[in-house]
Amino acid sequence: MNKMINLKFKLNGKKVTIKTEPHIRLIDLLRDKFNLTGTKEGCGIGECGACTVLMNKKAVNSCLILAVQVSGSEIETIESLIEGGILNPLQKNFLLHGAVQCGFCTPGMILSSYALLRENPNPDEEEIKEAIAGNLCRCTGYKQIIESVKATAGELKKTKRLKK
Amino acid sequence: MIKPVDIILPKDLNDALAILSEKDAGIQIIAGGTDVVPGLAQESNRFKNARLLVDINKIKELKEITIENGVVSIGAGETFSNILDNPVIKAYFPLLAKACGTIGSVQIRNRATIAGNFVNNAPCADSVPVLLVYDASLIIESSGAKREILLGDFLSGPYKTQLKENEIVTRITIPVPAKQFAGDFYKLGRRRAVAISRITLALLLSIKESKIDEIRIASGAVTPIGTRFTELENSFTGKNIYEVTLKNLSADLGRNIIKVTGLRWSSEYKLPVVQQVLYQMLHNAVYGGGNDE
Repeated sequence: MNKMINLKFKLNGKKVTIKTEPHIRLIDLLRDKFNLTGTKEGCGIGECGACTVLMNKKAVNSCLILAVQVSGSEIETIESLIEGGILNPLQKNFLLHGAVQCGFCTPGMILSSYALLRENPNPDEEEIKEAIAGNLCRCTGYKQIIESVKATAGELKKTKRLKK
Repeated sequence: MIKPVDIILPKDLNDALAILSEKDAGIQIIAGGTDVVPGLAQESNRFKNARLLVDINKIKELKEITIENGVVSIGAGETFSNILDNPVIKAYFPLLAKACGTIGSVQIRNRATIAGNFVNNAPCADSVPVLLVYDASLIIESSGAKREILLGDFLSGPYKTQLKENEIVTRITIPVPAKQFAGDFYKLGRRRAVAISRITLALLLSIKESKIDEIRIASGAVTPIGTRFTELENSFTGKNIYEVTLKNLSADLGRNIIKVTGLRWSSEYKLPVVQQVLYQMLHNAVYGGGNDE
């Protein structure tokens, strides 16, 4: 049996401490210990992006990070985007533009787009494609997803605010 | 699931080097983890002896990109995202910025580190051909010792390097070129993102009075390890820039590669692609234009 550690980090805006084995993957920590099952496991080797979460505001694959490496950092999952029961503009636009079919890629796809828009509120199509190049979708053909991100960027121009 | 394994997070470089010099075999250094973590999860043979992971992410000495006396020093633990966004890298080593931008995906580039790309000397490491044409060196440290070695010497054979078990690559140093080079980096994978390279080429070319003043060419993926073609470079230096020179040079590069690899099942495809791509790169370097996918 491996040693347990007390892991401290910030999760979806709240400081958390959890007893865990250091070598488990971040995705397992999120799903099994925190019951945050919005983060999906697809390939498990960093190719599909379904497990994307934000670490210190940057998109990362949670299947490629060990629990111990999260210590002291800030993690955001798809569950953090909804506010008071109201969907984030990006989530709303994914629904409006038909960017969700089976939905398995959606949490990762939204978080990659969210990280992009937070850094660059007015991306062009190439920048959107680059931001989601690490997220595979086998249903939509990406067109609707790109439209959703564009639409959100357009709204941001008016409100100048995504959240946070 | 990953089998239980001990993990240490040294607080600084001395701490990490002390661990490496004290402990027996079975140490695996981990930085970004984009190679090690899936390797452990899949129980890859490459990591079957890993008993202790030494996580070097929090070591400040392995970070930052600095410039001093005409030499740029990149922390071995810098991520590709940080390197490709860095103004110094963009200004002096545009091919490196471009190569870093073709690696993996945003998610991978946010974690993966530059030294992690080449310390296992996989032939497909995308940073290697560009680092080779920029004459990059590595600073390697062990407890109480420090040495500098050219990347080309460090990469000794497929999946083999000059790194000893008690050593860490701490910095990559690259001299700022003394002259103006044109050039490009080319990568061919099965798709644009998250693809293992099949062919990579890096080219730097400077022209003086319609002659080749200096040329540097390196390949990756298509050769067993990242390779500079010094003999070829020398044999074309001083030649007039005629169409036929560019064609001969491209044809010769293909022949040089076949000499190293021998004929393979893929040669029928890759040989003409390598030759045509180098020709286009040379053409763009001489006449301008190109420099896109």
